[in-house]
Amino acid sequence: MAVSTETSSSVIGSSPARTPVWALALKWVAIAAALLLALYVASKLADHGHTLAVVGTAFVAMCVLVIYGTRRAVPMKYLFVGLALLIGLQVWPIVYTAMTAFTNYGQGHLASKEDATAQDIAYSVRQVPGSPTYTLTVAVKDGTSTVAGPLYFLLVDEKGHTFVGDAKGLNQLGKNGLTIDAGKITKAEGYTTLNLLQANKRKDLSSFAVPTDGGGGIKASGFAAAYNGKPTLVWDKKADTITDTTTKQVYVAEGAQWVPQSGKGDALPVGWKENVGLANFRTLFTNSTIRDGFLGIFAWNIAFSVLSVLTTFVLGMLLALLLNDSRIKGRGIYRSLLILPYAIPVFVSALVWASMFNQQFGLINNLTHLNIDWFGSPWAARAAVLITNLWLGFPYMFVVCTGALQSLPGDVMEAAKIDGAGAWRTLRSITTPLLLVAVGPLLIASFAFNFNNFGLIYLLTKGGPFTGGNSQLGSTDLLITYAYRLALGGTNPNYGLAGAVAIIIFIIVGLLSFPGFLRSKALEEVN
Amino acid sequence: MIKRTLAVALASATAVTLAGCGGGSSSGKNSADGTKAGSSAPAKSGKSSAAAAPTAVSTKNPSRDKNADLVIWADATSAPYIKQLATQFGKANGVKVAVQISSDVRGQYGTAFKAGQAPDVIVGAHDWLGELVTNGSVAPVQLPAKVASGFNPKAIAATKYNNQTYAVPYGVENLALVRNTKLAPNAPKTLDELVANGKKLVAGKKATTVLSNQVGKTGNPYNGYPWLSACGGGIFGTKSNGQYDPNKLIVDSAGSVKGASSWAAMGKQHALSTNIDDKNADTLFASGKTAYEITGPWSIPAFKKAGIKYAIDPLPSIAGCGAMKPFLGVQMFYVSSKAKNATVAQTFVTSFLTTKSAQETLFKVGQRPPALTAAYDAVAKTDPDVAKWAAAGKGGQLMPNIPAMNSVWGPLGQAEADIVSGKSAPKARMTAAQKEIAANIAKG
Repeated sequence: MAVSTETSSSVIGSSPARTPVWALALKWVAIAAALLLALYVASKLADHGHTLAVVGTAFVAMCVLVIYGTRRAVPMKYLFVGLALLIGLQVWPIVYTAMTAFTNYGQGHLASKEDATAQDIAYSVRQVPGSPTYTLTVAVKDGTSTVAGPLYFLLVDEKGHTFVGDAKGLNQLGKNGLTIDAGKITKAEGYTTLNLLQANKRKDLSSFAVPTDGGGGIKASGFAAAYNGKPTLVWDKKADTITDTTTKQVYVAEGAQWVPQSGKGDALPVGWKENVGLANFRTLFTNSTIRDGFLGIFAWNIAFSVLSVLTTFVLGMLLALLLNDSRIKGRGIYRSLLILPYAIPVFVSALVWASMFNQQFGLINNLTHLNIDWFGSPWAARAAVLITNLWLGFPYMFVVCTGALQSLPGDVMEAAKIDGAGAWRTLRSITTPLLLVAVGPLLIASFAFNFNNFGLIYLLTKGGPFTGGNSQLGSTDLLITYAYRLALGGTNPNYGLAGAVAIIIFIIVGLLSFPGFLRSKALEEVN
Repeated sequence: MIKRTLAVALASATAVTLAGCGGGSSSGKNSADGTKAGSSAPAKSGKSSAAAAPTAVSTKNPSRDKNADLVIWADATSAPYIKQLATQFGKANGVKVAVQISSDVRGQYGTAFKAGQAPDVIVGAHDWLGELVTNGSVAPVQLPAKVASGFNPKAIAATKYNNQTYAVPYGVENLALVRNTKLAPNAPKTLDELVANGKKLVAGKKATTVLSNQVGKTGNPYNGYPWLSACGGGIFGTKSNGQYDPNKLIVDSAGSVKGASSWAAMGKQHALSTNIDDKNADTLFASGKTAYEITGPWSIPAFKKAGIKYAIDPLPSIAGCGAMKPFLGVQMFYVSSKAKNATVAQTFVTSFLTTKSAQETLFKVGQRPPALTAAYDAVAKTDPDVAKWAAAGKGGQLMPNIPAMNSVWGPLGQAEADIVSGKSAPKARMTAAQKEIAANIAKG
């Protein structure tokens, strides 16, 4: 935002000439706008209680002020915006994933211990046996505000007795001055009744209870009914135990959950999030199912990505070469038609392909009179995945190659012709090497994309078929779909374990891509 | 020129790599949620997904309407009717209600809850309950005894977890045998009768398939369960309080194995097939290519549209076992434990949705028999199908709502698929499935 104004002023800033006043004004307006934006974001974040993020935003705002407000740090003026985005959108997710990998964050372990325990206790609230249910009218005393005045419950029990309750306790209420309609008090002298909208604004209503004998309390259920409820669990914070007052069962904190001390019975349902150190990584490396399946899936993962890139590239390039020949009429039409598979969402085409591969009802077996169990036998399923990916992927390669072909220098081609090279020789020695320099890096990107091609596998085979009597290791599973099933899909979601798997995959993809980039750098040197 | 291309490519490749690794936290989750709505859901919660199946898959996540006094998330099928009710409620009480469509209520609610952006009320199946309770994301609701007694007892049982009530039910759904009356004028009493007649129709070229029942390459335990229940098997045993016990698996019990043997026998006769899945099961029946389909109320609109004359029968019985009993699923309204408008939400759910007229309106969502007895009686008079669905569900068990059920769908489904396709023998395969399920549950 402030960059554009700053570039001019900083260039001029090197000479003693003064910056024009309007440029200075514009610069400070831009800086002020950026600071206001930061303030807005920070207040939103503070609303949700993200302390760390508020500090981060304040830091960014300070950086903006220091970098663009002063004449120092000229290179930083160019780099700052990109750097901030890089950290926010790329580095932070990695750090966050890594941090999650060391926790038990997942199903049943979402909140802090404090919150989880409060929820467990709230879930133990039961209606006191034999107590009546009431119709409820929420009110405040006349003269106090409906927003902040002390709350009163005007109650009618099943027998028609009327009561008034406040934070101190429940009292009889004389029927004089009351208007009762359909068993519910609608008007009461001395009180202002709240309508639903006003009651909804009272956030203290959900925690409000009229104390009753025996430790219970009359609580609102919605805004028209009330009941006498009592939690059966009591948390002794000092001893860090929870006692169930009805069964006398004592619970202790263990494994981020309240478990019965006696070892008999169930744990309380809500657990909390805590640090588990290297436990997730230990699970990954010691679980026998995970270890045994890993190598096979890894091998198929590599084969899938390499073959996908190879087949799509070869088909795309051949079609591009063909349609690059000016002797073909209506090339524009053919080219647009060939891009069509690329324009259809993967969702749609993958599902269409899935039904075409159906053994009994699918188009492919019906047309070819074959009886291949495409998604039932491992090798057929792998072939089906590659065929579908070829259909989905070749238009991209076709577009890329067409673009690269058209930018090939004509003089080199002419020189080859003059030297007497035939079509094949030109293709092999001139066109292909030049083409590869341009599209080489894209092939690596395509490899990295297909390495993690979650959507295709999930829509087509869900990783299956599963052989050998298990439902964890699929024949077409990629590491990413396998990890998904392991950590999130098959059983109860475990984001901590998923984070650990993601880190391992990150390291693998990084190691695999590294030599590729070294190689493309070599190509650049040749050029 | 080449240098610049390389730089751009390098940057984009790095981005792809990083996106891949960040998958655990952001990008992976999004794609996961998106796909869950479309295809993996059948494995996770057979029935609820089947009901939501006609919904177009939308990758757009709803975001909470900040100006409303009550925010409800529902799937696309139920949203129009809930909107109708919400408008009534809003007008009567002077509040603004927003009903938002979510393509995957369960998944998107979980994500929104963690971000502190959850809606006040969600509409969903009863088997989500255990998961919602362990995450602490659902609030108890208080139904006075005289209100609760007006409901179908099975529906009320479905709203409970550890004896606490968490939801208000509106519809009960289950599988039944839907029959094409033109092809098969009489209801089959036994499975053998069904298969014999189905085979006759196929031999006479009047149909192509004996029976349409979703199995697929990864199995469908929801549709396969009636075979197990008929022979006295099932998934979980129960505790003394009637709740399912995750430590008492009966997948490899004698009854379950007997039921699985019937899967194998049906598979051999091509009466069950892994080639029939959620994508083509309804189409086969709607196009008259089979006389029988085992399905639920959610399929009926498609059959009516196709002009098929159908009848709804209870599931037949298996020779040497008993009558096939389906799982019961209950559709209900949950209130979020972090609802920003808790008072309006609780009032809407406990006072308004428990009325007869509201439950009658909700009947239009997929024509499920209403949970409120008075509403059931009213709609049963005008719609003859209602009593038939209820009759087919008679004696059925509630689908387990404990979180351990998440560990069952995958292994049991694969076992079913392997047995139906004849790849594995029933006894050994069910034993292996039980082992895998137990290991998953222990992993927690």
